[in-house]
Amino acid sequence: MLTLQSYLSLAAIIFAIGIIGIVINRKNIIIVMMCTELLLISVNFNFIAFSYFNQDIAGQIFVFFILTVAAAEAAIGLAILVALYRNKKSIDVQELKTLRN
Amino acid sequence: MIKEIIFYTFSSVLICSSLAVILFRNPVYSAVSLILSFITSGFLWLLLDAEFLAIVLILVYVGAVMVLFLFVIMMLNINNEKEKSSFNSLAPFALFVGLVIAAELITLIWINSSQFNLNSEAIQKPDQVSNTLLLGTELFTNYILSFEVAGFILLLAIIISISLTLRTRKNVKTQVATDQINTEPSSRIKLVDLKERK
Repeated sequence: MLTLQSYLSLAAIIFAIGIIGIVINRKNIIIVMMCTELLLISVNFNFIAFSYFNQDIAGQIFVFFILTVAAAEAAIGLAILVALYRNKKSIDVQELKTLRN
Repeated sequence: MIKEIIFYTFSSVLICSSLAVILFRNPVYSAVSLILSFITSGFLWLLLDAEFLAIVLILVYVGAVMVLFLFVIMMLNINNEKEKSSFNSLAPFALFVGLVIAAELITLIWINSSQFNLNSEAIQKPDQVSNTLLLGTELFTNYILSFEVAGFILLLAIIISISLTLRTRKNVKTQVATDQINTEPSSRIKLVDLKERK
């Protein structure tokens, strides 16, 4: 029997995988951004599951806007990344400590 | 019964591909695994009667965002050789944090399931209108202001990303069209009266 619990548990597992990916990665900002996409996908999963099980379309509207903002965020993030690579010749997470001290 | 089989198959594919995203060292492989997980979650959203959003997820994410990711990965030319070191020093901590988050969320979901009616089947209404029609009707009536704001956010994203990545090189010999148009005949041709030679 497919209940709301199974969908929410799946989204929780995907969310935890995204968090692990952000913490574990020390070399590449692009993979950190991909893990952010994973987190967004899991949150969208929750919205769509609630929307289906409560028969309310507002959840899907919200997912629509989340997708829009996430696409804009990915575009701006990659533009920042390209500008960063131009200045520092590296996208290493460890070397980005210009603001330290 | 068929829905359960589809759900468990696709969710195991989704979990494996998300694990592959964070475990591959080569970012191109990670991007391809992320494409697989987007397509799989699109199928799972089809199971939840969200057809329009499933198609939008595949078209926008796989077609645009992941192509942008792959483009940036291949443009930046990152060397993968020195990534072997310092990958595992944070792994126990990351695993701990992730497992605690997953355990907390799943406990929260399963402990109060009967109180918040989480463990019942979905209410099946007779569905006359399609999902896209329903979503569009709601979007263009009640949420029209949010829709406009979303369009404005996309416009801002275009402007910001172009202005961040645009650079004009110095010392490059190109045509300057405005100077060419705004020039006047007097600056180009000089009429000189030549004296008649005798």
